[in-house]
Amino acid sequence: MRPRQRSRSRYLAQAFAPLRLIFHDRLATTGVVILGTVIVMALAAPWVATHDPRAIVERAEGSWMTWDEDAWRVQPAIGLEPLYDLAVRGGEAIAVGADGLAKRFDGRAWTALPRITEATLRAVAAGDTGAIAVGDGGVVAWYVDDEPRALRLGDADLHGVTLVDDGRSALIVGAGEAVWHLPLAALEAGETDLEPRTTRLASPVGRGLLLRAVATDADGSAIAVGERGLALTWSPDAAPGGAGSLALLTLPSFRDFNGLHVDPDGGRALIVGERGTLLRREGPDARWVEDPPPDTRALRGAWIGNDGRAWAVGRNGVALSFDGEAWQRDVTGTERHFWAVAEVAGRPLAIGSDPFVDKLAPPSAVHWFGTDHLGRDLFSQNVYGSRIALLVGFLGAALVVLIGANVGLFAGYFRGRTDTILMRIVDVMYGIPFEPFAMILVLLFDPSLLIVILAISLLSWRTVARLIRSQVLSLSERPFVKAARVAGASDLRILYLHIAPNVLPLVFLELAIILGASIIAEATLSFLGLGPPQSISWGGILHNARLSGAWRTAWWWNIPPGAFIMITVLAVFFISRALEVIANPRLRGR
Amino acid sequence: MSRTYVLRRGLQAIGTLLVIVTILFFLFRLGLPDPTVALVTEGLSPEDRAVIRERFGLDRPLFEQYVIYLGNIVRGEFGTSFYYKAPVAGVVWEKFANTMVLMLVAIVIAYLLGIPLGAYLAWKRGTRTDTVGIVLGLMFRSAPMFWTGMLAVLLFGVALGWLPTSGMRTLPYEAATFFHKVFTLDFLRHLIMPATIIALFYLGSPLLIMRNTMLEVYGEDFIEMARAKGLRERDVLYRHAARNALLPVITQLAVTIGLAAGGQVVVEVVFSWPGLGREILQAVRTSDFPLAQATFMLMAVLVITMNFLADLLYGALDPRVKLQ
Amino acid sequence: MNKSQPRRQAARWLVALVAAGLLWGAAQAQEPIPTIEILTTTESYDAIRYEGAFIIADAWRELGFDVVVRPQEFSTLLQRFYDEQDFDVTILGWSGRVERLDPQHFLATLDSRQAGLGANNPGGYANPAYDALFDLQSREFDADARRAYVQQMQELAAPDAPLVILFHRDEVVAYNATRWTDMVTMAGEGLYNEWTPLRATPLTNDRVLTIGSPQEPDNVNPLASTSVWGWKWMRMYYDKLVRLSPEVEPLPWAAETITAVDDVTIDVTLRAGMTFHDFTPVTAEDVKFSFEYPIANDYAYFRPFLSRIGRVEVTGPLSVRFHLTEPVASFITVTLSQIPILPMHIWSAIDNPADLNPDEIPTIGSGPFQFDRYDRGEYMRLTVYPMHFAADDIDIDAMEMIIFADSEGVFTAMQTGQIDMTAWRMEPGQIPLAEANADLVVVGVPDFGYFHMTWNLRRAPFDDVAVRRALTMATDRQRMVDVLLDGRGEVGSSVVAPVNAFWHNPFIERFDYDLEAARAALEAAGYTWNADGRIVAP
Repeated sequence: MRPRQRSRSRYLAQAFAPLRLIFHDRLATTGVVILGTVIVMALAAPWVATHDPRAIVERAEGSWMTWDEDAWRVQPAIGLEPLYDLAVRGGEAIAVGADGLAKRFDGRAWTALPRITEATLRAVAAGDTGAIAVGDGGVVAWYVDDEPRALRLGDADLHGVTLVDDGRSALIVGAGEAVWHLPLAALEAGETDLEPRTTRLASPVGRGLLLRAVATDADGSAIAVGERGLALTWSPDAAPGGAGSLALLTLPSFRDFNGLHVDPDGGRALIVGERGTLLRREGPDARWVEDPPPDTRALRGAWIGNDGRAWAVGRNGVALSFDGEAWQRDVTGTERHFWAVAEVAGRPLAIGSDPFVDKLAPPSAVHWFGTDHLGRDLFSQNVYGSRIALLVGFLGAALVVLIGANVGLFAGYFRGRTDTILMRIVDVMYGIPFEPFAMILVLLFDPSLLIVILAISLLSWRTVARLIRSQVLSLSERPFVKAARVAGASDLRILYLHIAPNVLPLVFLELAIILGASIIAEATLSFLGLGPPQSISWGGILHNARLSGAWRTAWWWNIPPGAFIMITVLAVFFISRALEVIANPRLRGR
Repeated sequence: MSRTYVLRRGLQAIGTLLVIVTILFFLFRLGLPDPTVALVTEGLSPEDRAVIRERFGLDRPLFEQYVIYLGNIVRGEFGTSFYYKAPVAGVVWEKFANTMVLMLVAIVIAYLLGIPLGAYLAWKRGTRTDTVGIVLGLMFRSAPMFWTGMLAVLLFGVALGWLPTSGMRTLPYEAATFFHKVFTLDFLRHLIMPATIIALFYLGSPLLIMRNTMLEVYGEDFIEMARAKGLRERDVLYRHAARNALLPVITQLAVTIGLAAGGQVVVEVVFSWPGLGREILQAVRTSDFPLAQATFMLMAVLVITMNFLADLLYGALDPRVKLQ
Repeated sequence: MNKSQPRRQAARWLVALVAAGLLWGAAQAQEPIPTIEILTTTESYDAIRYEGAFIIADAWRELGFDVVVRPQEFSTLLQRFYDEQDFDVTILGWSGRVERLDPQHFLATLDSRQAGLGANNPGGYANPAYDALFDLQSREFDADARRAYVQQMQELAAPDAPLVILFHRDEVVAYNATRWTDMVTMAGEGLYNEWTPLRATPLTNDRVLTIGSPQEPDNVNPLASTSVWGWKWMRMYYDKLVRLSPEVEPLPWAAETITAVDDVTIDVTLRAGMTFHDFTPVTAEDVKFSFEYPIANDYAYFRPFLSRIGRVEVTGPLSVRFHLTEPVASFITVTLSQIPILPMHIWSAIDNPADLNPDEIPTIGSGPFQFDRYDRGEYMRLTVYPMHFAADDIDIDAMEMIIFADSEGVFTAMQTGQIDMTAWRMEPGQIPLAEANADLVVVGVPDFGYFHMTWNLRRAPFDDVAVRRALTMATDRQRMVDVLLDGRGEVGSSVVAPVNAFWHNPFIERFDYDLEAARAALEAAGYTWNADGRIVAP
C-alpha cells in the first residue's frame, strides 16, 4: 500500500509544481487570468452573448424618406408598424400600414388617425368626403371627420382601392381576381357588411390571380394590375348607376406587377413590378412601353407626374427616377423596403418598411461589435467563437500529448525494434508539411469537427514523441529505474509509475505549446473555409468577412476576432514560458 | 561524421519519401471524387466522361496506375495536369519559384533581425527591455497572419493607397526570364507587405531560441572562464556566447526553410500571391491527381532534405554531438 | 400475510410490463419519417447555397421533419448527386449559357431517360407524357409549334414538384463609364460576351479594352478545353457559322445563308473572302473538317452538339450540306453557333491534338480578333484582325484580360481603374461600394440558369407527391432572394427561366411560401404527428 500512496502523492506534487511556478511569474499570471476569462466566456457563451449568433436580425418600422434637393434622405421612423400605401389629396397625404395604422402628413409632420381596425391595411384612396382604406381579411376602413369606421367586404385580402364615378364610388381589387364596385353611399348606410351593397365584377381571365393595385385613368375608366402580368381595364357603364365592366389589357410583360400610378391630368401612367419591371405610357392613348431598368430588384411603388418625370421605389432601398428620357438609380443608402412613393406638396415622399435586415451596421448600443452582411450580431459570434477555438485547441493538444507521450515512453523505454519502428514512423511524419496536409485531410473527408481536430493533431505528435523519447532514454539509466527493475516491477509499472512522473513537466510544456499552435491552426483552417461546418469560430468570422467582399469597409467585422485569437494564444505562450523553466531548469535564474 | 552515417540517413530519407508518395497516391485516388465529375455541369454525358477518364489513364486498375506512376517518377516524369492539360513540372516549378522568393525573403529578414535581437535580450535579461521584447515577439507569433495581413491590406493598400494589395506585379508586364520578373521595383513593391507579415510572424522563433540558448551558454564553464579573464561583457556576449548559441538557431533555420514550400497558404490567399499553397488547394479540389501529387511531393522533398541537412549541420558544428 | 401475495404482486407487475411493452410497440409502429439530409455546398464555395440550406431546414423542422444540413466539397457534392445518386435532397445549380437559351438542355433534366447514374436527371422524375413531349419538341422545326410543346411540358411538370427551382440569381457586373460606352449585356453572360468587344466604344485615346477576371481558361486548345472560360476566350479568335445576337437571335456570321432543305438537311453557304489569320482563305473544306475533326478525336466537350450529324458534304468551294441522322430543332441556334472553324491545313497534320503541350497549340483562327499572347495565370491579349469582315465596325485595337486570384483582386482593380470591366459577378458586399463609385456603372443581368433543390424521388418520403408539394410550400424562396441575394434575383418556378420569355410558361403552378398550407396538404395526404411533434407517414 505505501509505495502506491507515495507515488500518488509524488504524482500530485509533480503535477502541481508547474502551478506554483506559474504564479511566481508575472507574465504567466497574466496569461492564466486571460485564458481563464476566455474559458469562462466560452462556457457562459449563451449568457454572455446578446443575440443568437446565427439569427438574421430583422426589424420593421414606419420608414419614410423625402427627396431633398437632389438626394433621398431617410427620416426618423414614425413608429414600429410598416407603412404600405400613400394617397395624396391637395397638399396632404394619408398613409396606412400594419395593424390598422393610419397617419396624416401635412408636408412636414405626421399626425395619427384613430386606429379603427387591427387588420393590416394595404391600400388607401382619398376623396372629397373622406379616405377609404382596404386591407387583409376584407377590411374596409372609412376615415371621415365625424366618425371613422371599419367595415367588411368578403373575407379575402384586399390590395388596391381607387375612386371612380367622379368620386362617388370606389373600385376595390384583391386576391382571387376580385374586383368590387362599391358606391360610397353604402359606407354611410350603417351596416358593417358591405357585400350586399357591392357588385363583384366578373373577370375576363378567371384564373384566380392576385390583383395588387388599381388606379383611375384620366378618362374616368380604371386600370387594375396583378401577378403574372395580369392587367384589366374597368369602364363605367354608359348609363349612370351601373357597376361597369372589365376587359383584359394586354401588356408587354408577364412579370408580377406590384404598383401603378396614373397622372389624372395628362394621362401618363406607370406600372412597376418584380425584377425592375417598368411599363410606361406617355398619354391616355399612347402605347405601353417597357423601359430598361437600371436595377433589377423588385419595384413596388410608382408615381408619374404631368411633366413626364417619374419615381419608382422598391425592395432593399431601391429608388429610381425618370427625368423624361432615361431611368437612373438614386442612392438611398438603406436596406429598408419601400412600398409607395408620391409627390406631396411638390416634394417626393416614399414610405415602407416591412421587416428588413439590419446588415453591416457599425457598432451600436444594440450590436456592440456591429452586424455582418446578413445582419447577424458580431459580438455574439465572437463570444461563441471562443468555444470552437478552445474545444479544438484543448482536445487537439490533449490528443497530441497523449499519442506523443506514449510513443515517446515506449520508444525510449523498450528501445530496439520498437524504437526503430516508432521512430521511422516519426520520420515519415516529419517529412510531411503540416499545413498543406491538414488542408488535404479536411478536403478528403466530410467536413466535421472531428476531422479538423484529427487534421491538426495527426502530425503534431511527432515533436512530443521525439522529446519525450530522448528524456526517457536518459531516465531509464537512472538508479531508481534500475532499482525498480531489480525489485521485480513490471515494465508498464516502471513506465507509468516511475518514469512518467519525471517527464510530466515536459508534457505540460508541450501541452501548452501545442494548445497555442492548435488554436492558430483551427483559425487558419476556418479562415480557408475548411473549418467545422455549422460552427462559429474566430477564423470563420474572418473568412466570412473576406468572402462577403465587405471587409474593406466593415472594420468592426475584421478587428475583434483576430484580436481574440492573438490574446488567447499570447496568454497560452505566457504560461508555456513559465513551464519551460521546469522542463529546462538551466533557464531558471534569469 | 562518418560517410556510412550520411549514407544511411540518406537512404532513410529516400525510404521516407517513398512511404509518403505511396500514402498520398492511394489517399488521393481513393479519397477524392472522380476528376471528370465537374464536367457534368458542362453538360457532358457519362459516355463522354468515360472517354476523358480513359485519356487520363484512370480506367486501369489502381495498382497498375501506381506502378506506372512510380516508374514515371524514377524517370523524372510527373505527368500531365488533368485540368491544365500541360506538363505538371512546368506548372509546379513556376509556382514553387513564386512561393520560395516570398518565403526566403521573409525568413532571411526574420533571422537577420531575430538573432541579434535575441542576443540583445539575453544580455538585458530581467530588465524591462527584455520583457517588452519577449512580449512583442510572442505577440507577432500569436497574431494569425491572415488577420495581420488583412489589416495591413486595409491600412496600407486601401486606406493609404501606398502599396499594391494583390499579386506579384502590375499586369501586363514585359519580361523575358524569371529574373526579369523578380528584380524590378514593381515586384519589390508587391513583395513588401506579404514578406513583412511573414517575417514578423517568424521573428519570434529565432528571437526566443537565441535568447534562451544564450542564457544556457552563459552558464557554461568557458563563459565563466572568459569572464574571469576580465573580458568586457559585450565581448563575452558576441564573441563567445553568441557563437556557441547560434547552433540551434541555424538548425531551426534549416527546418524552417524546409517547411517554406508548404508555405503560408493564408498569406498567398490574402495577398493573392500565385504560389504553391493555393495551387495544391486548387488541385485537390479539382481532383487533379498528377498536379496534387507532384506539388505535395516537392514540398516533402524539401522538408526531408532540409531536415537531413539540419542533422548533418548539427553533427558538423557541435563537437558534443557524436554520430555513430 | 399470504405467501402467494408477493407472487401475485409479481404477476401483476408482469402484466403491467407486458401492457406497457405492447403500447410502446404500437407507438414504435408509428415511426416518424427518418432524418432528411440536405446536401449543399461549403460556405466558401458558395455562401448563398450554404445559408439557403439552413433557411430551408429551419422551416421544414417547423413541419415536424427532422433535417440535417451537410455541406460538401463541390466535387464530392457532384459525385454524390450525379454519379452515385446517394442523397435525399441536394442543392445545386445550372449556369445559364447562351446555348442553354434553347430549352433543350434544361428540359432534358426532367427526362426519365436521363435518370441513370451520371446523367442529368439524378432526382429520377419519370413522367411518360413529359418524355413524349420532349421528343416531339426536340424534333419540331417550327418555333411556334415547338413552343406549344415546351410550354405544355412545363405545365405538366410543375404540379408534380419534381424539384424546387430555388431562384435565378442576377449577374451583377460593372464597367468604367468614364472610359467606355456602348457596352453590351447579355442574359447569362453579363458584360463578358462576344459582342462587347465588337461594339464597345472608347471615350479616351486608350483603345484597349481591359477585362479583369478571377477565372482563366483551363487551356486554349480547341480540342482539349473543357471549361467555359476557355471557350469564352477562344470564340473571339475562332469564327463560327452563326453567332447569337445580343437579343439571342441566330445571326448568320461566317455563313452567308443557311437553308433548311428539309428537317434533316441543311445547306450553308460561306461568306466570300474570309481568311485565317495566316492569310489562307477559309473554304468549305475547312468547315467540313471543323465539324468532323472533334468527333474523330473524341473531343467530348462538343459531342452533345455533333452527335447527330451524319455527314458533312462539300457542295462547292464555299458551300456545305449537313446531313443529320434525325431532326434537331436546335441545330442552327446551338450547334452552328458553337462549333469553331479550324484551319484544316494546320490541324490535319496533328495526330493527337488533345495531348499538345501549351506552347505547341496552334492559335490561328479566322475570327475578328487574333491571338497575341497568353501568360498562364496572369495575362491574355488579342488584337483586332484587320482583314475580318467585321473589323471596320470594331472600335478597339485590342482586348486584354488580367487574371486575378479572386474576385477581391478584380474588385480592387476595378476601383483603381486598372481594368475596364469585370468578367465575373461581384460579391454582394462589393456591389454597394461599386454603386457609390461615380466612375462605374453597375449592371444587373438576369440569369436563365438556376439554383435548384432536387429530391431523390426513389426514396421515401419524396416518392410521395404530397410531401414534395408541401415541402416546396415550406421553402421560403422569397426570403432567400431578399436576404441572401439582397433582392438581386427572382424566385423560380420552371426549369425554363422567366427571362427566357419566348419559351417560359408564366402561368404554371407556383408554390408561394405558406407553412399552414403545407401542413394542411400533409394532413390531407394522411400524415400525422406523434407526441414529439415529429411527422409520421400514413
